Amino acid sequence: MINELKQLEINALAELKTAKTEEHFSNIRTKYLGRKGLLTGLLRNISQVPDVEKPLLGKLSNELKNLLNAKIEEALRQQAIRNKEDVLLKEKIDVTLPGNAIKCGRIHPVIQIRREICSIFVSFGFSVVEGPEIELDYYNFEALNIPQDHPARDMQDTFYISDNVVLRTHTSPVQIRIMEKVRPPLRILSPGKVYRRDSDVSHTPMFHQIEGLLVDKGISFGDLKGILTAFLKKIFGENTTLRFRPSFFPFTEPSAEVDIRCVICGGNGCRVCKQSGWLEILGSGMVDPSVFQNVNYDSEEYTGFAFGLGLERIAMLKYGISDIRLFFENDIRFLKQF
Amino acid sequence: MLVSLKWLKDYVNIELTTEDLAHRLTMSGLEVEEIKTVHPQFSGVVVAKILSVKPHPSAERLSLCTVSDGVQNYPVVCGAKNISQGDIVPLAKVGAIIPGGYTIKSSLLRGEKSDGMICSEAELEIGDDKSGIMHLPADLPLGLPLEKALNIEDTVLDINITPNRSDCLSMIGIAREVAAITGKKIKFPTVKIKESNEDINSLASVKIIDSDFCPRYTARMIKSIKVGSSPVWMRARLEAAGMRAINNIVDVTNFVMLEMGQPLHAFDFRFLEKEKIIVRKSKENEEFISLDGKSRTLPADTLLICDGVKPVAIGGIMGGLNSEVKEDTQVVLLESAYFSPSSIRRSARKLAMPTDAAFRFERGIDPEGVVKALNRAAQLISEISGGTIYKNYIDEYPKKIPLTKDIPLRLDRIRQIIGTEIKAKDVTGILRSIGMVLKQKGKGTYLVTPPSCRVDISREIDLIEEVIRLYGYDHVPVTLPIVDVKEMELTPRLDMEERIRQLLTGSGYTEIVNYSFGTPQAADILSLPENDERRKTVMIKNPLGEDLSAMRTTMICGLLETAKKNANNGSFNLKLFEIGRVFINSSKDELPEEKNMVAGLLTGEITDEFWCSGKTVDFYLLKGSLENILFDLKINNCRYIASSIEPFLHPGKSCGIYLNDKKIGFLGEIHPDVLEKIDFKNNLYIFEINLDILEEVYEKKKISYREISKFPAVMRDAAFVIPDAMEADQMINIVLDQKEDLLEKVIIFDVYKGKGIVEGKSLGLRFFYRAPDRTLTDLETNAVHDRIVQNTVNLTGAKIRT
Ligand SMILES: [Zn+2]
Repeated sequence: MINELKQLEINALAELKTAKTEEHFSNIRTKYLGRKGLLTGLLRNISQVPDVEKPLLGKLSNELKNLLNAKIEEALRQQAIRNKEDVLLKEKIDVTLPGNAIKCGRIHPVIQIRREICSIFVSFGFSVVEGPEIELDYYNFEALNIPQDHPARDMQDTFYISDNVVLRTHTSPVQIRIMEKVRPPLRILSPGKVYRRDSDVSHTPMFHQIEGLLVDKGISFGDLKGILTAFLKKIFGENTTLRFRPSFFPFTEPSAEVDIRCVICGGNGCRVCKQSGWLEILGSGMVDPSVFQNVNYDSEEYTGFAFGLGLERIAMLKYGISDIRLFFENDIRFLKQF
Repeated sequence: MLVSLKWLKDYVNIELTTEDLAHRLTMSGLEVEEIKTVHPQFSGVVVAKILSVKPHPSAERLSLCTVSDGVQNYPVVCGAKNISQGDIVPLAKVGAIIPGGYTIKSSLLRGEKSDGMICSEAELEIGDDKSGIMHLPADLPLGLPLEKALNIEDTVLDINITPNRSDCLSMIGIAREVAAITGKKIKFPTVKIKESNEDINSLASVKIIDSDFCPRYTARMIKSIKVGSSPVWMRARLEAAGMRAINNIVDVTNFVMLEMGQPLHAFDFRFLEKEKIIVRKSKENEEFISLDGKSRTLPADTLLICDGVKPVAIGGIMGGLNSEVKEDTQVVLLESAYFSPSSIRRSARKLAMPTDAAFRFERGIDPEGVVKALNRAAQLISEISGGTIYKNYIDEYPKKIPLTKDIPLRLDRIRQIIGTEIKAKDVTGILRSIGMVLKQKGKGTYLVTPPSCRVDISREIDLIEEVIRLYGYDHVPVTLPIVDVKEMELTPRLDMEERIRQLLTGSGYTEIVNYSFGTPQAADILSLPENDERRKTVMIKNPLGEDLSAMRTTMICGLLETAKKNANNGSFNLKLFEIGRVFINSSKDELPEEKNMVAGLLTGEITDEFWCSGKTVDFYLLKGSLENILFDLKINNCRYIASSIEPFLHPGKSCGIYLNDKKIGFLGEIHPDVLEKIDFKNNLYIFEINLDILEEVYEKKKISYREISKFPAVMRDAAFVIPDAMEADQMINIVLDQKEDLLEKVIIFDVYKGKGIVEGKSLGLRFFYRAPDRTLTDLETNAVHDRIVQNTVNLTGAKIRT
């Protein structure tokens, strides 16, 4: 009889393992533990068992009953969880479909460069200032030591509004306007649009410049090198090699053109650097005493330096753009890349 | 300026490699932009040896040669007499190209095969000798390309001369720099003049009427010249410098200009009436035909070189057709003068004649070089054209050209500017190397006189620049300034612009940058009324084109154009914005008013991937973006007024935006008429806001914190049926104007028209009630809610929708 009980347990557990639905489980319960179930049926024959075995048999059958009940309960609980998940899985969505929020737009690449440069100089203590884009000849030229009928005017082909009003050809007039109003020391940065009568792959009639000016007692050419070196290393990387070479700007003396090692060819010579291995990045110089004289600064007491750079050029080098006109065609397929 | 190294070596020894030289020049301020190799006009010509010469069997004047290039023997038929066995000669092999572009082919000459051509100097344009075959040195290896064997290749440096360095617009000027940076001596050409007995003063005279424009005029005359082509060496130099050879007289004037920097002009003396030169200013509208054959109307105050009757040259710019040197010219009058830089510049610009001569005069030539160049040119003309130079030269010099002398230079000041100490010995050494004369004047101070060619140097700072440039920028140690930073007052607008940029890009808008100028038709495209401020356009006098001639008075046209261009490229779903300035002409001020604006545009689907929505953009999406900007800037009292109509916007779907009764902009759908004008298919929504007005209130607003209630809010809805014309804003204001303390806020939850509404529309309002100190009871809430609803009904005549 004990053996029969053991066999019953094996059969019941096997059936439980294959059961899948709630109905199966309750069928199994009925089949084994029900009033007309197999266990009950077996116990009906207990009278034929010798008395000494009776207590043991009773204990074993109770244990089996409890075991089966517990197993069925557990299986039912698991089943309920599975059922709930099945319902949720039926709600399954395609997670690879694109998101539904409005896609971000982009800031114009030149403006991104402007922000980057401004924030570097602001961290050096420079303040951002502005001036008019339509300027008096005086501020754009005369006050910057570029008199009428001077060949230096050839350096910039000018749009005229009237005989003495021009579209500013550089952001330098802002330095004059600020110096007229503010006494030194001075650290200013003036970004903005400038205009030159020129149009080809590397020139557009409008582009962006940033002009910087630092005036104080004891400012030297060495300081100019120091500040601009720190700036260019921030923009183009710590390993950037640069050189300062003499040049000419009417409003600075001595003047320096600053070149960096060509970022395209690493200095071996390529089309972008015209085989020279160097790229012209910015113009700079010590403020000419006659400019100080025009704004009533004492050039014996104060010295200073100014610098200017074209933003499109920097953006072109950074992003490998060969046609400057792309910046102003505003093709969304271009703008979205930055 | 194009500088032939071969030519340059006539004046200074160069031991550096070309790359080194270019680098040193660049680092001392003469930027070498390009290094070019100039190849000869032939190729495929090699050194060869004549192995045998036999007479041609059927042509007396020809001979049959066997020629070897060291590898192979070639039969060559030759017509020259000066050849014999063993001669080393240039051989143009089959396939070679010789000057004039001829290709050598294998051919039969009077029945004999000829595989190549033995050449003369003239045929290869190496020299002028055309009398016979060129003989080469016997030790040249056979087969070597001729250009290598004779070192014919030249290197030309393209040097960017800055406008201040007029002294470097000549070979000698460049040589002077090279000598200074390499420590070499400069070799000037020796000028020897053989004069005849006849005195120029007995034949011609010069009179300067306008000495301001022409302080000095010198002249020489040369007779019995033979006009012809220049020798090859001179032609080669002119060509290397980018000039075309013309004839031996004109070539000499150009050659000397390139060599010494002094422009010259040669007149055919036959055509100088009354044997006179008169220098004067033009009267208004004088006519003149210049050398290039163009008839020109001269503006007043153009400097003219005249003879006794008529103008013969535009002084310092170009000669006249009426007195040019011709093939049969025999006597020339050679002019070498000093013209005032600014007057030449003015005239050259007005006449649009940026000639080589004008370029040099306007930058300032060496006042002391005038006679040197005159003599040098006279010498060369007489040598090359066989002419005879008349005795003496004319030197009219009515007005002394000022020269700078004794500029004080302080060593202290050098240190102040450079930031480092340069030894006195180095300073004086550098300055002397470029021809400066120094006198010590007290301790640490010198008086410096620059050479006459350095017209750019007149001040101490000019000298300091010379010192540092030749000392080397590389040698100046890098320092960092220590400055007391004085805070500048910043424009809040720049900060505002940055915030707007962040917000709009976050809302899907992409920033564009358009040109500030465009078509003058913009105002018409937008149908702006006559008195609209935006018709006060600033016009560019010299635009790149009519369509780029008007400074914009609104950013809208640029946005529309950008939308159109993108649509043409297949991008129909656009969200764009631009931050920039517009320009309004001012009758009062010299400068126009510049306004800072932000403008935006929406068109097409809300997203490119509209699988989930498929909704197109509309007025409220644009308005929402704008509200976000204003919210971020903490400007919450803007009003949207539908009656403020822009002619280019849909009258039913647009409004003006007002802040404190000031119009700051507009927003709306583009008028169908405008869409038609610009040929655009989809609806466009745009806005434009004046940032200067926003700036006035930006950041002035103080934020003061209001305590957040811990107690729950109670919501009540009510729907009002109101006339169509009544705006939501009006309803909200009527509610808020009742100033019920317990009403926390009211929002619109529904706008409904249609079934159930006979007339007008239903506006569903949701009221939120809350007390700061307690939970509201139903009774309390109902009391205040009923009061508000009743008052609103009373004030508007609305019906409550149930
Ligand atoms: Zn490169």
